[in-house]
Amino acid sequence: MNNACLVLAIALPIVGGALMPLLRLPDKKRNLLIELLVLATSALAFACVLRRPETNFVLFHLTGNMTFSLRLDGLGCVFTCLIAALWPLATLYAFEYMRHEERTTSFFCCYTMTYGVTLGIAMSEDLVTMYLFYELLTLVSVYLVMHPMTRKALRASRTYLYYSIGGAAFAFIGLVFLILYGTTTNFVLGGVLDMEKVGGNMQLILLVYVLAFLGFGVKAAIFPFQGWLPKASVAPTPVTALLHAVAVVKSGAFAIMRLTYYSFGEDFLRGTWAHFIVMSIAMISVIYGSTMAVRETHFKRRLAFSTISNLSYVTLGVTMMSPAGLLAGMCHMVVHAVMKIGAFFCAGAVLHQSGLEYIDELNGLGRRMPFTFGTFVIFGCSLAGIPLFGGFISKWCIAMAAVGTAREIPYAYAAVGVLLYAALMTAIYVFTVVIRAFFPDRGSVTPHPEVTDPNWEMCLPLALFAVATLVLGLHSGPLLDVLQSIASGGF
Amino acid sequence: MSGNVILFHTVWFPFAAAFVSYLTGRRSKAARDRVVQFAVAAEFGLMLAAAAIYFQGGEQEFLLAGFCGQGVYLKLDGFRVVYGVIAAFMWLGTGVFSREYFGHYRNRNRYYFFYLLTLGATMGVFLSGDLYTTFVFFEVMSLASYVWVVHDETEKAMKAGEIYLAIAVIGGLVMLMGLLLLYDAAGTLRMSELYDAVAAVWQEKQMQIYAAGGCLLFGFGAKAGMFPLHVWLPKAHPVAPAPASALLSGILTKTGVFGILIVCAEVFRYNESWGLLILGFGVVTMFGGALLAVFSVDLKRTLACSSMSQIGFILIGTGMMELLGEANALAVRGTILHMVNHSTIKLILFMAAGVVYMNLHKLNLNEIRGFGRKKPLLAGIFLTGALSIGGVPGFSGYVSKTLLHESIVEYAEELAELGRSVLWVRGVEWIFLLTGGMTVAYMTKLFVAVFLEKNPERQEEYDARKNYMNKESALALLVPAVLLLLMGFFPYLTMNQIADLTQGFLHGTSPEHAVHYFSWTNLQGALISLTIGAIVYFGIIRRFLMGRDESGRIYYKDLWPAWLDLEDRVYRPLFQRGAVAVCGFVCGLVDRLTLTKTLLRGGMNLGGIACGILDRLHLVKAFLKGLMSFTALLSRACDYLVDYVLVFFRNTTHRSTTERHVYLIGSRFSRVAGTLLDRLAAVLNRTILRRRPIRSSFVVRFAEWEEVIHKTNRMISVSLSFGLMLAIIGLGLTLVYLLWW
Repeated sequence: MNNACLVLAIALPIVGGALMPLLRLPDKKRNLLIELLVLATSALAFACVLRRPETNFVLFHLTGNMTFSLRLDGLGCVFTCLIAALWPLATLYAFEYMRHEERTTSFFCCYTMTYGVTLGIAMSEDLVTMYLFYELLTLVSVYLVMHPMTRKALRASRTYLYYSIGGAAFAFIGLVFLILYGTTTNFVLGGVLDMEKVGGNMQLILLVYVLAFLGFGVKAAIFPFQGWLPKASVAPTPVTALLHAVAVVKSGAFAIMRLTYYSFGEDFLRGTWAHFIVMSIAMISVIYGSTMAVRETHFKRRLAFSTISNLSYVTLGVTMMSPAGLLAGMCHMVVHAVMKIGAFFCAGAVLHQSGLEYIDELNGLGRRMPFTFGTFVIFGCSLAGIPLFGGFISKWCIAMAAVGTAREIPYAYAAVGVLLYAALMTAIYVFTVVIRAFFPDRGSVTPHPEVTDPNWEMCLPLALFAVATLVLGLHSGPLLDVLQSIASGGF
Repeated sequence: MSGNVILFHTVWFPFAAAFVSYLTGRRSKAARDRVVQFAVAAEFGLMLAAAAIYFQGGEQEFLLAGFCGQGVYLKLDGFRVVYGVIAAFMWLGTGVFSREYFGHYRNRNRYYFFYLLTLGATMGVFLSGDLYTTFVFFEVMSLASYVWVVHDETEKAMKAGEIYLAIAVIGGLVMLMGLLLLYDAAGTLRMSELYDAVAAVWQEKQMQIYAAGGCLLFGFGAKAGMFPLHVWLPKAHPVAPAPASALLSGILTKTGVFGILIVCAEVFRYNESWGLLILGFGVVTMFGGALLAVFSVDLKRTLACSSMSQIGFILIGTGMMELLGEANALAVRGTILHMVNHSTIKLILFMAAGVVYMNLHKLNLNEIRGFGRKKPLLAGIFLTGALSIGGVPGFSGYVSKTLLHESIVEYAEELAELGRSVLWVRGVEWIFLLTGGMTVAYMTKLFVAVFLEKNPERQEEYDARKNYMNKESALALLVPAVLLLLMGFFPYLTMNQIADLTQGFLHGTSPEHAVHYFSWTNLQGALISLTIGAIVYFGIIRRFLMGRDESGRIYYKDLWPAWLDLEDRVYRPLFQRGAVAVCGFVCGLVDRLTLTKTLLRGGMNLGGIACGILDRLHLVKAFLKGLMSFTALLSRACDYLVDYVLVFFRNTTHRSTTERHVYLIGSRFSRVAGTLLDRLAAVLNRTILRRRPIRSSFVVRFAEWEEVIHKTNRMISVSLSFGLMLAIIGLGLTLVYLLWW
């Protein structure tokens, strides 16, 4: 496999998306073209994963030994597969959802470009390249938040921009110090710190790690920097679902994995004060997100809070600083992506079909939209970690990783407690929706006689995600095997 | 996938059947009913086939690696054969009965779907060979059965469903925590390996294993209805449809007991302190349930409380099994037989209650009184169940209760031989007998109310109901009743066989000398209980719990104080006000960032003051501005801060520009003079000119005047220079003219 394919996969949606407005096509043709473009990109991405180029691809040199280069390794493969699988479906859903909106061409143009940029993050070979794509992601996706062009949306996009750019500044500190103290900026499992150079500057490096963790954590919505995510739920649902449950936020989590396991190295960090801090941050985020989700009554914002807590599951897994932790983090990254995008799509379908936004308006809607809410039950059970559904597997992995780490660092036992608390909260915030939809209190049924399930373009992604959630839950062996070999460096 | 596949079939088949029945139900209701009945019959057949395989080939196992993460491991031994068959049989019975019972119900499709799902999950629990598998199916079972509880969708049902779901979810989570701890300590969850694995690490990890055991006990105990987690039981059973209540009470509670048995037999085998703990819970559950049942005036609620009480009996047996150590044959056999008895008895009793409800749609004893008169079949069936559960000699409950009683006596003797105090064991024994008596009393109360007494108002209407159930339902009730009678009449042929078959599961052995169930010593215990029962019924129930209303009719009084409810008094406040409210409040507080905000605002103010001072000092102003905009950008990262920074700068450092702008009106003179006059005017306003104060500012007035003067001056100067220019041009022209011409 020629490694130029990597470049092609990234460039195709970016260039294609950018040129799209110039073609001035009617909506139907444009949609077809975009879907084809996205499918082609996904096919390329999968081809790259299946027949991985052994060598890296250096696009150009920056100064000195800093290069702008691409390479696919195990972790990158996981992320690439994830987004390559979800993007075409989300695009399909978006066509129907955006049918009655304005400015759709510019929306889809940015939507498609974001795909390329996210692929770029997944395929970066070193921290510099990833950082560049990371910044680019902010710039491309900010328009998508802004898209409704209401006052609220403009404010949300401003907040998003400030948070992201501020976070990137912190991340930049990490980048600089890695260039100074590392052997290379490439990603190598186990870390690239040069212990001779580090010498007595251990504390400084740890501080830098915490700063960079927080910086990348902004996109992963970890606790003190979570504010942008619930606000950004004003964006159209395809954006909240794909970007704010998968692409953007998972880029943050992905970057944290890269930073922790591939740049600083988990052995260097395990048991230090920095480890305690990042673990605490993750735990607080989990508690915060799940509690706020229970308090929130706006459907999409509730899911956004749930995303905060679930992303921090990923982070919590990662901060266990062991291969089992990386495995758990990756596993939850995959599972959460599938189930949360599905849950968001359900919320979007409800909004699109009935215009209802708040949970207390959903009384009895399950009877009107059986398919949508039926799939929501699956996603919800998975979120709550019920066995037979995907979420259970990844939570079990996280808990096992926590118990494993707790042998050395008893503090990690707290993670198990946090997980259980969050699972309880999750059960509450999910089942209140389900119960309201299917078992309305007698007499309080809001009549929505005209509301029905959406058309196939919206239902197909829902069905596929539901099946995927079940398959991940019932037959997770192969996935876990692959992730296991990635986490232990064998892939 | 390895091992005997029939085990797997018994588990997946109901799941598949659930979907088939749902899809069929969308086309035709009658066909769906047949599909469901066929499915439960087929499941029963499958289970019988599995039993046949067991009798021929011994223990079987099945492993599906990778399923649901850790893989599913199913096992078939004597106990599992018995309980698998019982579970399938109960589903068969309720399945047959459901057709008539649900005849006029809504949402039947949904009910049957979850009915079959739960069957599959329950089979999974009973056949599971490792605790992970148990947990997986246990959770599915708990959640699927929620739909039963809320089936009627009344307010009461929703509330009961809420507590049912809450207990199920919390129980499941705590159980999961227990499993994690246990897995971490022992390194395996497979039941057959657990004992050795735990024994190997017992010394160093004792505390962790106790913690794990406590968590598991919580999780399984919640489902079993163990005190103090029994709260869902008396609420969920009465509101659920009768076939569902029969299953909830008869078999779903047993899955909890199954888990407790495994923890007791495999993790804490022969552990005395653990045994005491279980025994303690057992005594409280047993007595508390019976007490609630005596006071209850609702047919199904009484049966539900009775279930709780019987679970207490089983837990006592489990505790004794630990305490007696190796010689625990009586306790093991008693425990298992009482489980089997209770399942069958509750199947009958709840379905009989279902027949009453199906006809009257009422459950209060005062309203259903006399319904059973002149209905010998129903009365006979109910009486069989009532006598069995009351432990009357000749009926099956007597056998298991005798065994349990004997095990307590045996433990007392053992302690006496060792010279230890036996007083408390005697206490337990008497509570046991007393509760047995209360069981007799509340069952008598039910039987007398429904089948003997006359209804003061509607007796004729009740008597006229001859077709109160169809043949199918009658068969569903009759068959288990006959089985129960056979078990009671021929205990040596039936119950001893069951005990021999199942005791290996709990590592029990056959007792050294066979127990003579009908010997005088054993009959004594039953007679004491019956006497107590008679005293309780006539002395307490008839005297204090029944009264006469104004018109002189006897009625049943509901004397149980409504406020005395663990759920409303303790759990809900604790949960809502405690856990959720506190955490929610804290998070809400944090969300508004009040803390962070104040901190940041403080920091900003300090920074602003410092910057302000520097600014006043005219030191490297440009540099500072650059730095400030950089920090502003950074601090914008925290949304709320941004506004504060801006506001702050506007109020401090950046205000100076606007201020200067204001003062730039007019010249120094107008400012000084104007301010002076303003102050003077202010003074005058306060003293002389109170009525008509001077409102306008002199500074502005002066400035305007100055402006006017300025303008005029400029106009004058401009016009002067223009005039001059014209004059010069005129002069020049004159000059040219003079010179050229």
